Amino acid sequence: MNFQFDTVSQLLNMAGHGIYVWTAVLVTLALVAWLIINPLLQRRDVFKEIAQEVSREQLRQHANRESV
Amino acid sequence: MNWNWFYRMGSPRWFYESTSRWLPWLGTLTFVLLAVGLVWGLAFAPQDAKQGNSFRIIYLHVPASFLALAGYFLMATAGAIGLIWKMKLSYMVMKCAAPLGAVLTFLALFTGAVWGKPTWGSYWVWDARVTSMLILLFLYMGVLALQYAFDSKDVGNKASAILALVGTVNIPIIYKSVDWWFTLHQPATISFTEAPSMHPDMFQPLLVMILGFYCFYAVALILSVRVEILNRERKTGWVRNLVKQSTDKSLGAEL
Amino acid sequence: MAYNMGFWAFLRRDLQLINRRRGEVASPLIFFIMAATFVPLGITPDSELLKNIAPGIIWVMALLATLLSADSLFASDYHDGSLEQMIISPQLLVMPVLGKVTAHWLTTGLPLTLASPVLGLLLSLPTAGYLPMMAGLAVGTGCLSLLAALGAALTVSLQKGGLLLTLIVMPLYMPVIIFGSATAQYSIQGLAWGGPLAVLGAMLAIAIALCPLAIASVLRLTTIN
Repeated sequence: MNFQFDTVSQLLNMAGHGIYVWTAVLVTLALVAWLIINPLLQRRDVFKEIAQEVSREQLRQHANRESV
Repeated sequence: MNWNWFYRMGSPRWFYESTSRWLPWLGTLTFVLLAVGLVWGLAFAPQDAKQGNSFRIIYLHVPASFLALAGYFLMATAGAIGLIWKMKLSYMVMKCAAPLGAVLTFLALFTGAVWGKPTWGSYWVWDARVTSMLILLFLYMGVLALQYAFDSKDVGNKASAILALVGTVNIPIIYKSVDWWFTLHQPATISFTEAPSMHPDMFQPLLVMILGFYCFYAVALILSVRVEILNRERKTGWVRNLVKQSTDKSLGAEL
Repeated sequence: MAYNMGFWAFLRRDLQLINRRRGEVASPLIFFIMAATFVPLGITPDSELLKNIAPGIIWVMALLATLLSADSLFASDYHDGSLEQMIISPQLLVMPVLGKVTAHWLTTGLPLTLASPVLGLLLSLPTAGYLPMMAGLAVGTGCLSLLAALGAALTVSLQKGGLLLTLIVMPLYMPVIIFGSATAQYSIQGLAWGGPLAVLGAMLAIAIALCPLAIASVLRLTTIN
């Protein structure tokens, strides 16, 4: 098993097929990354939302207690 | 027989907490497998005698196709478990598997099209496997559309589960039909679906990529399900505690 | 209890109801014939070319015409509450379902089948293709009606259900059109057309066995909730 290409430019070019292979690679990596990053971002947003809800409820409880 | 373990698995909290423990490891494994497989396949595997370097796309196309199909069966099974045992977690898995599978099906079609241009001269070809994959994408889109069409989440879940099951029954029928249809119309000179009998040097990185993709699917699915759990259970004590702990931690980091 | 409890009654009921709105029933048929006219206008009137694609065109048009009429399968019964009555009554729900689907086929699939020679004429279908085309359509439209009913059941409670119905049902139609079109094409090419027809028959058998069960459970789900 050995490295198939002599130079980096050969690696990119892949005997003329480079554009096809690298397009496929880039699109795949982009989608794979997005499929993992998207839920992580959503989780962060949900955490923020829940934290806001909790603090809003606490404020309301405070206000209720003080008005009594 | 003691089925407690099965019912315990249906608890969203148990799922969230146990996946929190080992998900980072699975994520690392995924990254390692995909990185090794990709580098191996793109740079170290020998090129194909007939197709030259464009054959390297196989390291992306085949894993994506496998997962697209396996993902559909997983989605339908999750739906079935939800229908039979009325397990909410199972419905959440089904719901998250749908967009994931649809994206993977699109990826399989895209990489296949990009592979097709240098190999057979055109981006699209109505051969049996490509056509079946396209129909699979339509099946996914139907389930996705149905999920969000109903006001009541409950009804939406059950309806999607039934549709997913109907689709599952249909997938072998569709594959067989399209295969038969293609052999009927196949131009005699070119054989598109000839599976290359592969040299081990080319096959090993493919195995690594397939494994890597399976792990990636698991990670992506589990991440989505965790978000879904947090959303559904946002009013419960354990979720609130979780959020409180993380905000305390981040406040502590600021101070 | 007799196993055909209610089937004939519901068949008769639906046929009577459809009879009162006869104009609606004619629309899929008129669509079928008119849309087939689009093909020579849009593609080519050359009969050499047309005769190659004629079976396929006729099948696509039949498919679209069935989808057009699918929406109204359960809609009116859902809106006036009779669907709920059917669901909560003690008889098997598959009976009203089968009755309705049969009525739908009798008023959509069967007219399409009988009208197909006209289209064959318009699209230069070779003579050998006429009988197999009709046989294939007769059996295949049965499958189309059953699958359309499934889509209709899933979308009956939705506002804009029509398009979603189409999206859901189209992938399921694909095997039917493959073998339906092949029936006529085989005959035109001089091969034995009993083969594809038998596969169509098998699909119809599976559909008759399984679809009503799925439709019944979906109706219970979407109507009562």
